[in-house]
Amino acid sequence: MEKRVLICEDSLEGIFSAIYDAYAEKCVHDFTRIQTRESENLELFTSYEHMVSCNEKAVKVIRMILNQFGEETYLYFCRALATEDAEKANAVYHVLQKGISEQNRRIMEKFSEECVNKVFELSRYTNNEIMHLRGFLRFQELENGVLFARIGPRNNILTFLAPHFADRLPGENFIIYDDTRGICVIHPVGREWFLMDDRDMNESALEHFSEKELEYRELFTFFCEKIGIEERRNPGLQRQMCALHFQKYMSEFTGNVPPIYDKSKQIKTN
Amino acid sequence: MQIENEIIKSVSVNQEMSIKEKLGILSDAAKYDVACTSSGVDRKGNGTDMGNTVAGGICHSFAADGRCISLLKILFTNECIYDCKYCLNRCSNDVPRASFTPDEVCELTMEFYRRNYIEGLFLSSGIIQSPTYTMEQIYEAILKLRKVYHFMGYIHVKAIPGADPMLIQRVGMLADRMSVNLELPTAEGLKSLAPNKHRKNILAPMRQIQNGITESRHDLVLYRNAPKFVPAGQSTQMIIGATPESDYQIMAVAENLYRKFDLKRVFYSAFVHVNEDKALPALPGGPPLLREHRLYQADWLLRFYGFQADELLSEEKPNFNILLDPKCDWALRHLEFFPMEINRIDYQMMLRIPGIGVKSAQKIVKARRMAKLDFTDLKRIGVVLKRALYFITCNGRMMYPTKIEEDYITRNLLSVKERLPFDVGTVTYKQLSLFDDVNIPSQSSVMERVLTH
Repeated sequence: MEKRVLICEDSLEGIFSAIYDAYAEKCVHDFTRIQTRESENLELFTSYEHMVSCNEKAVKVIRMILNQFGEETYLYFCRALATEDAEKANAVYHVLQKGISEQNRRIMEKFSEECVNKVFELSRYTNNEIMHLRGFLRFQELENGVLFARIGPRNNILTFLAPHFADRLPGENFIIYDDTRGICVIHPVGREWFLMDDRDMNESALEHFSEKELEYRELFTFFCEKIGIEERRNPGLQRQMCALHFQKYMSEFTGNVPPIYDKSKQIKTN
Repeated sequence: MQIENEIIKSVSVNQEMSIKEKLGILSDAAKYDVACTSSGVDRKGNGTDMGNTVAGGICHSFAADGRCISLLKILFTNECIYDCKYCLNRCSNDVPRASFTPDEVCELTMEFYRRNYIEGLFLSSGIIQSPTYTMEQIYEAILKLRKVYHFMGYIHVKAIPGADPMLIQRVGMLADRMSVNLELPTAEGLKSLAPNKHRKNILAPMRQIQNGITESRHDLVLYRNAPKFVPAGQSTQMIIGATPESDYQIMAVAENLYRKFDLKRVFYSAFVHVNEDKALPALPGGPPLLREHRLYQADWLLRFYGFQADELLSEEKPNFNILLDPKCDWALRHLEFFPMEINRIDYQMMLRIPGIGVKSAQKIVKARRMAKLDFTDLKRIGVVLKRALYFITCNGRMMYPTKIEEDYITRNLLSVKERLPFDVGTVTYKQLSLFDDVNIPSQSSVMERVLTH
């Protein structure tokens, strides 16, 4: 039988509407894959189709997931889809398909299925990064009092981080900027946070810090130095607990020089 | 009079000191305190004030020793009238002394917290004048932080033994977690190294906090908005290796603390030699880190795996095996329970299999409801098969043909090196196993060596 590969946009909307289409077109699930990018090698006897994202279809699928599988499973999917893994869309599609065909609300507990494990692992990968960045993210106070944080996450986790910080710092204007994807979360005091891309960002404003900023940064660096016990020194363990790709953005490791703002290195996701 | 003069002098010295110098002295003095976690309470922000807490706690950075930096860990002052032999801040030591003012503590906490450097404040103190006076100072700082600066993040406060119970009660209404340091595992140890402290005085506030927490929980059942007393529970710490207690004694103490005092955590702190004193042991090999590590492993077994202290150790075998972790050690001494059938045994027993932790056990229990599991499934679930394979069967079969024999399994488990969080593994290993039969290299590696030479 001919295999079908549905290629869709790398977003929740794109992937969920591709899943909708896979059902609408009565694809044979075992012979269908969903991908978010082009295959590097084309296969024989396979048709490749580019799908169009459609908000309406995506909403229908999301509603179905929430109704039939519950919010927890939906969050598993969202977190798995926030990764950059090439197999993510396909894994979610097959978990969903197995869940529907078996009428199993608890499909995410069936670890003997490979796709369930895949989604679980991807989701855990994202979740771990969220957990880490809740701690490792560093705000810097700009001249105008706005708190600005720059992160370089491996997964697209801004939307997961924002609620935590909005709850924690309701009285602050803050921006969290994703260096790898060129998007940011903006939280104005007393209002809901929102996502934005960096097209309108004023780069020069980000380099002027408030008077106190350097002082506190230095104090904290000093504190981190003092709190370690020399007799127990163990840089290996330090690196294991706080990986270098996080340290790159943390003021106590980079010294007092703020990380350089480099737009050319960004991966553009869309 | 003399003391008063000294205090006045030190206060005047303090005023000249910059905040950085103070922070240096007072965080340096607090660094040996290990009970520094930010876990135990989930509190959403109230929409206006800064701060919330997360039940799992959040680590914000890691120091050069690999320990997490979660709270702004400082002493209020490092002046102390006590003379505990192991402590850097004892009154007979000539070290620079400093004190914070409540405002300084508050500002540092607020500004650090805003920048997401820390999860909250950990405030302890040396004893100035008297325990009650010291507790008052701490209370004033915490009260200011909560009521004037409206800080809603995590606060961990040390209860000072001997302080007025009324004050401890008041501090408890503001703090998330409180801890009373047990300092040393036994009363004799305490007597020899901390002449000003008494076991009774330490246990009294611990009991008071425990009762306070129970009462507060009871009130919460009746009134939803009743103020919470120490909602994240209490913890304690003890120094390991400064006094001659065995691991068995230490575990028995810890078990009692968990059972009778409802403690959330007991922390073990490998003794670090900071003072020269004839009452202290010489530790040429540095702090006893491996011992501390084994104690923490056993502590986890007590809290999450349903083990009891006397299952792990006994009077006859009072110390942990250096080569094997406590769980493997237990399993090897109880081979009559193994192999266990993964698709059938209950959760509690499953937790006792080496290589299966709480998370994998929970996943197995869920997954086996829907399908029979085999070894590939277990691997996917995250079971460490190189450890577990000697102890389990899947659908009646073992992974490889293996002998259920203590020596055989020990030899094989030792060849799978345990990942220890510090560089002590290799040295200890070789020195201790020189005349041991447990570490005979396997046939194949001997052959390899013969061939390569």
